[in-house]
Amino acid sequence: MPDDAATGTVSGDAAEGALAFLTEMTPDLRGAAIVGPGGAVLAASGDSDRWGEDVVALFAVADRAGGEPVEQVHIGAEQGEVFALRHAGLAIIAVTERFPLASLTFFDMRSLLRDLVAEKPLAAFPLPEDGKNDQRRAGGDD
Amino acid sequence: MAPKPHRVLLDRVSGYADEAAAYMRRRRASRRPFARLYLSGGRAEDHAADSVAGGELFVAAGKLIELAGKRPKP
Repeated sequence: MPDDAATGTVSGDAAEGALAFLTEMTPDLRGAAIVGPGGAVLAASGDSDRWGEDVVALFAVADRAGGEPVEQVHIGAEQGEVFALRHAGLAIIAVTERFPLASLTFFDMRSLLRDLVAEKPLAAFPLPEDGKNDQRRAGGDD
Repeated sequence: MAPKPHRVLLDRVSGYADEAAAYMRRRRASRRPFARLYLSGGRAEDHAADSVAGGELFVAAGKLIELAGKRPKP
């Protein structure tokens, strides 16, 4: 599950905004979820209950395989790829098509979690009507 | 007779595109399924699909892939 270092609380609206932004930024994305402390699903693209269960199962298996709490998981299967990472009590999981730009995907996911934890998600993730976010792409959100 | 300058440029761009396409084809052909865990301190470990841990990871990932479904069409 998300790591033990939970910090503060993240609203569902903020998580939904972050997830919408990730969807916008990742053309290969099929689905994603943001999970809070205790395994509560804050935002998900689809059946929240199933996302919660499957994410808990993934991290449980990964922690057992790694012998310690893992920070990131990247699994490439024939049918798609799974990215998962945890930060400050939150976890974000993304399922993509095969052969995405892995480092960029992890970078975007990590940035979103950090902004969520810093409680600046809605200001940082404006979704203009044309679907482009020049501010964030230019790296100038501060 | 020397080729026209724009032909040289087009041939060069076309050559780069062919190289890139060939690289992507090789990458797709050579890349096998993998399960990679990143641990604290920047360590990473790979788990083979035929290992016990690797098998469990692929099963867990498969459920998430199934749940996500296909990419929505734009």
